[in-house]
Amino acid sequence: MSKKKSLIRLEGIWKSFADNQVLKGVSLHLSEGEIVAIIGGNGAGKSTLMKILMGIYTKDRGEIYINEEKVHMSSPSVALDKGIYLVPQEPLLFPNMTVEENILIGFRQNKSELSARLHELIEQLGWEIALTRKANTLSIAEQQLVEILRGLLREAKILILDEPTSALTFNEVQSFFQLMKDLQAKGIGMFYITHRLSEVFEMATDVVILRDGTITVSGPVEEFDREILIKGLMPENTEMAKAEGEREAIDYSQAPILKVDGLTGYGFRDVSFDVHKGEILGLAGVVGSGRTELAEAIFGVGEIIRGDVLLEDKSLKGLSTMEIIEEGLNYVPEDRHLHGIFHMADVRMNTTSAILSRVSKFFINKKKETEITKKFIDDFRIKVTGQGQELRSLSGGNQQKVVIGRILSSDPKVVVLDEPTRGIDAGARGDVYKIIHQLKKQGLAILLISSDFEEIFELADRAEVMCHGTNTVQLAKEEITMDALTHASFGA
Amino acid sequence: MERLKNFKGKWDLSLVVLLITEILIFGWINPRFLRIHVLLNSANDFVTVAMIALFMTFVIITGGIDISMGSVVGLSSVVMGLLWQELGFGIWTAVFCAILVGTLCGAFNGFLVAFVGVQAMVATLGTSFLYAGISLVIIGFSGISAAEGITGFPDSFRAIGHGEFMGLPSSIILFVALAVIAYILLHRTTYGRRVFLTGINRAAAEFSGIKTKLIILSTHMLVGTGAAIAGIYITSYLSSSRADHGATIILSVITAVVLGGTSITGGEGSIIGTFLASIIIGLMTLGLQMAGMPTQFTGIGIGLLLVVAVSIKSSMGEGNLISDLKRKFQKESK
Amino acid sequence: MIAIKKLAKMREMTALIFLVLLFVGVGLRNPDFMNAQSISTVLKGSVMYILLAIGMTFVLLTGGIDISVGATLGMAAAVAGTMIRDGSSVVAAMVVAIVIGIVIGLINGFGVAIVKVPSIIMTLGVMGITRGVMVVYTGGRWIENLPDSFKLASQVKILGGLNVYFLIVMIFAALVQLYFMKARSGRYFAAIGDNLEGARLVGISAKKVMIAAYVISGICAGIAGVVFASQVGFVTSNTGVDIEMIAIAACVLGGVSLSGGLGSVTGSCIGAVIMTAINSALIYLKVPSFWNKSIQGMLLIVIVVSDVLIHRYLEEQARKRRLSARTSVLGGAE
Repeated sequence: MSKKKSLIRLEGIWKSFADNQVLKGVSLHLSEGEIVAIIGGNGAGKSTLMKILMGIYTKDRGEIYINEEKVHMSSPSVALDKGIYLVPQEPLLFPNMTVEENILIGFRQNKSELSARLHELIEQLGWEIALTRKANTLSIAEQQLVEILRGLLREAKILILDEPTSALTFNEVQSFFQLMKDLQAKGIGMFYITHRLSEVFEMATDVVILRDGTITVSGPVEEFDREILIKGLMPENTEMAKAEGEREAIDYSQAPILKVDGLTGYGFRDVSFDVHKGEILGLAGVVGSGRTELAEAIFGVGEIIRGDVLLEDKSLKGLSTMEIIEEGLNYVPEDRHLHGIFHMADVRMNTTSAILSRVSKFFINKKKETEITKKFIDDFRIKVTGQGQELRSLSGGNQQKVVIGRILSSDPKVVVLDEPTRGIDAGARGDVYKIIHQLKKQGLAILLISSDFEEIFELADRAEVMCHGTNTVQLAKEEITMDALTHASFGA
Repeated sequence: MERLKNFKGKWDLSLVVLLITEILIFGWINPRFLRIHVLLNSANDFVTVAMIALFMTFVIITGGIDISMGSVVGLSSVVMGLLWQELGFGIWTAVFCAILVGTLCGAFNGFLVAFVGVQAMVATLGTSFLYAGISLVIIGFSGISAAEGITGFPDSFRAIGHGEFMGLPSSIILFVALAVIAYILLHRTTYGRRVFLTGINRAAAEFSGIKTKLIILSTHMLVGTGAAIAGIYITSYLSSSRADHGATIILSVITAVVLGGTSITGGEGSIIGTFLASIIIGLMTLGLQMAGMPTQFTGIGIGLLLVVAVSIKSSMGEGNLISDLKRKFQKESK
Repeated sequence: MIAIKKLAKMREMTALIFLVLLFVGVGLRNPDFMNAQSISTVLKGSVMYILLAIGMTFVLLTGGIDISVGATLGMAAAVAGTMIRDGSSVVAAMVVAIVIGIVIGLINGFGVAIVKVPSIIMTLGVMGITRGVMVVYTGGRWIENLPDSFKLASQVKILGGLNVYFLIVMIFAALVQLYFMKARSGRYFAAIGDNLEGARLVGISAKKVMIAAYVISGICAGIAGVVFASQVGFVTSNTGVDIEMIAIAACVLGGVSLSGGLGSVTGSCIGAVIMTAINSALIYLKVPSFWNKSIQGMLLIVIVVSDVLIHRYLEEQARKRRLSARTSVLGGAE
C-alpha cells in the first residue's frame, strides 16, 4: 500500500454545528488508485466530512495534506484547483443549460479547446450522452455521468462519490462500477460513500466506518467480512438479536385495518398489501424504488392511477389530506425538513398543526394546545426548554419526536412512518424505536417504510420489499434477514 | 440560537424605543410637534398606509407580496365616485361596492398566485398595471377630469375622514379598530395560525391537512379589502375621488410591514410590529415636514428605514454578513 | 406536445412572432401603422426601454430583481440634464450618468449579495432614497432649456432612416448577446440564478457576479437617463416613475424567467419593442390612450400565466415519465 503515491491525508478533523458535534477527530488517507469506502449510518458525519474536503464547510480543527503538502480548504475553488471533485448524491446541475455548458462552466481555459477535449474524453470512455440535451431532461444516472465528466475534465485526481448508486437502477449500477474500475486503473483515488455493504466488498480497496463522528473501524477490505462491518456500524451496547420480549400475538384472523389493493401511480405499480391492528409492516426498498411516491399517494398528496386504498373498508381514494387524517391515517414524511417540521414555529404550534380545527373552534384554545403538547413531551421524553422553543433549535432526534407527536395527536388508527430515523443520532433512534413499540402495543397499525434494512430487521412483524416500483417479495417475521432484504430490494 | 430568539422578542421593544426617540427628536426640533392634537391629527396622513400594511402583513407572512395595492386604492376610489355620481347609487351602496371591488382584485391576485402558481411579485406587477389601467379606462369613459377627479361628496361621507368621536379623530378610531381586528385574526384564531404555518413551510402545512391555496388566496383578499377601505378613507379625507390616490403608497406599506419585524421571506411577523412601524413612518413624515424639510425627504427617510431594518434582520441569520465576519475574525485570531 | 415544447424553448421566437403579428394585425386596420415612419417612431421610442431591459436581464438571470432602475434613470437624467443645460459636454454628462448608475448598482449589489437583503426589498428601498435625492437635487423644478444640438441628436437618422440611438443600442445589445453566448463569464449570471449551490461548487464567485449584475443594471439605467433627456428635451421630477415596471414586463414578455437562470437579451429587447409598439398601435387603432395601461397589464398577465402553465405541464410530464421509467424492470422501456 505504502508504495503508492499518497493523494490526500486528513488528520484529526473536528466540526460542529451549533451544539451538535458532528465530527470528532477524524483521520483519513487516500492513495493513487485506491477506493476508500466510507460507510456509516445516517447522521454519522459522512457528508459533512466530504463537504469539508470540498471546501464547502470549514473545519473547526485538524489538518488536510494534499500530496504531503498542507492546504487550507477555504472555498470550493481551492479544492477544485487541488484536483478534488465531489459528485454529490443529488447532482447539482444547471437545469436550464445543456450538458456541454454544464460541464464546461467554471473553467478558465479556452472554450473550443476544452470542447475538443471533452469529445475526446467521451469517446475514450465510450459513453453515449448527447451534449446538446438540456440538463432538466436527464435522468439521475445521466446527471451523475455529467458530474463525473466534469470532474474528469478538470483532471481531478481525487473523486468523492457520495452514495452515487442510491438513485440508479440495477443495470446502471453495473456500468457505473465498470466506470469506477476504469478510473481506478488510471490512478485516480476515490472516496466512496455508501450504506450498501455488498458494494463495499465489490468495489473498495479500503474501508472506513464512521459512527457518530468518529472512525470505529478502518483497514484494507480483505481484512473484513460482513459481520465485522455490521458490528462496527451498530451503536455500542446493542445486540444483533431481535427484541424478542416485545413480541405479542397479532390477531391475523381479524380483517386487516388497512388494505392497499393493486395501487398504481407514477413511480409505483400494482402494489398490494395489508396491515393489521397492532402490527408493524415493514416496507423495505432503496431510494428510488417508489416507496415514498406510494406513501404520498396513500396520503392524498400524490396521484393514484389505478387501484384502491381501504381503511376499515372505506376507500381513501380521492379524499383530501385533511379528510384522510380525519379518517384515521396519518403520515410521518420522509424528508423531515421539507415536509415535516415548521422550523420557525415552536413545539406547541408544530404539535397541533394537524388538528387545529379539533383543538379550537375559531379562536385558538391555548390551554388545550398546551395539554396536548405536554402529553407528548412527557411521553416521548422530548428535550425542550419549554413548549415555546422553536423547532429549528432542537436536535434532529427531538424534531422527529415532535413530528411523530403531531401525527399521533390526530388519534390515527394507521400510522405511516417514512424513514423515521433518517438523520438522527443513535440515542434518539433508540427512543423512536421505543415509541414505535409503544404504538404497536396500543393497537395501532404501523406501516414502516425504510431503506435502512437493519431497521426493518429490528422492528417489523412482516416485511414487503419494494423493487422497481412494486412489492415483489413478502417476508414473514422469521424470514427477515439482512441478506433476504438486500437481495430482494436489488432485484437480484 | 438563544440570542436570536431574544432578539426577536425585543424587536417590538426596539420599535417602541425608536418611536419615543423619534418623537423626542422632532419635538426638540419643533416643539409644536409635541402638541397632542397635532400628533392625533397626524394619523390622517398615515392611516391609509397602516390600513394596507396591517393586512399586507398576512400576505408577507405566507411568503408572498402584493405590489398592486396602490392601484387598488385608486380603483376603489374611482369606482366609488363613479357609482355615486354617474350611476346614481346611494353613497353607502357605492362605498360597499368599492370595497367589494377591492376584495375581488385581491381575489384575482390570490388566484394567480395560489392556484395558477405565478410568482407573487410578477402576478401583482401585472395586476398593478391592470387595476390602474381599469381606473384610467373608467375615468376616460365617464369623461371626468383626471386632475380634479370626482368631488362634492355629501357631508355624511366626508365624516369618515373628518369626523370625531369622543375627542378622537375618526382616523385614529379606524386605525385602532382595524389593528385590533387584524391582531385577533392573526394571533388569536386558527386562521392566523394557518397563515403562519403556510408561510413557514407550505409543504409541511399541506402534509398537515391545511389547504394552503385557500389560505394564500384569502390573505390576498384581505389586503385587497384593506386597500379598498384605504381608498374610501382617502377619498373622504381629500373629498375627491381620483385614480392616482395610491400611486406612491406601496413603498411605505412594505416598509411598515418589514420594519414591523415581518420577515420578507415569510413565516414570522406581528401586527403589533406593523402597527408601531406605521406610526413611526407616519410621524416621520409629519416630523420632517414640521422641521421644515421638503416633503421629498420623506422618501429618503422611508427608503433608509426599509434598507436598514431589513439589513439588521438579515444580519441575524446564518450565512450572512455578521456570521461571515465573525468566522473571518475567529480564523484570524487563531 | 412537441409544438408546446418547441414553443417553450424558443421564447424569443414567440415574442418576435407576436411583434410581427401586432404590426400586421394593426396594419390591416390602419395601413399607416406599417409604414416606415411609424415603425421608426416605435423603434426610436423603445431605445430607453431596451437599455433598461438589457440591464434588468442581467439581474433577473441571477434570480434577483431591480426595482430601482426607474429612479436611477430619473436621477441620471436630472444630473446629466443640468450639466448639459449649464454648458458641460455631453461626454462629461454621460460619464457622470454612468457613475451614478455604478454607485447605485454597487449599493444594491452590496445589500443583496453581501448583507443578503432580498433583492426586491433592497432595490425598493434604494428606489425611495434615490427618488428623494433626485427631487432634493432638482428642488422639484423641471430641467428645461436643454441645448437644441443635444435634443436634435436623438432625431438623427442614418442608413436610410434608422434612428442613430436605436442603431447604437442595437449594436450594444448584440455585443451583450455575444458576451452571454461566447464569454466564459457570460454564463455565470444565468448559472447562479439556475442553481446557486451548483455554481459555488464549480468555483463561481456568486457574490462578485451578483454585484456585477446590479452595477450593469445601474449603468444601463444611467445611460437611459441621458437618452431620456435627449429624446424628451426636459426632465420633470416624475421622470422614470413606473418605468421599472415596463422594463420588467419587457423582460418577461421576452422570455426571461423571474426565478432566474433562463432568458436572453435578444428576448428582452424584443419585449421592450413590444411594450412600445402597443402604445403606438393603440393610437393607430384610434383607441383612446387611457386603454394603454390595462392592455399592457393584461398582456403581461396572459403571457406570464401561459408561461407558468406550459412549464408546469412540461415539468409534470417529465416527472411522470421519469417515475414511470423506474417501474419497468428493464428501465427505460418507453
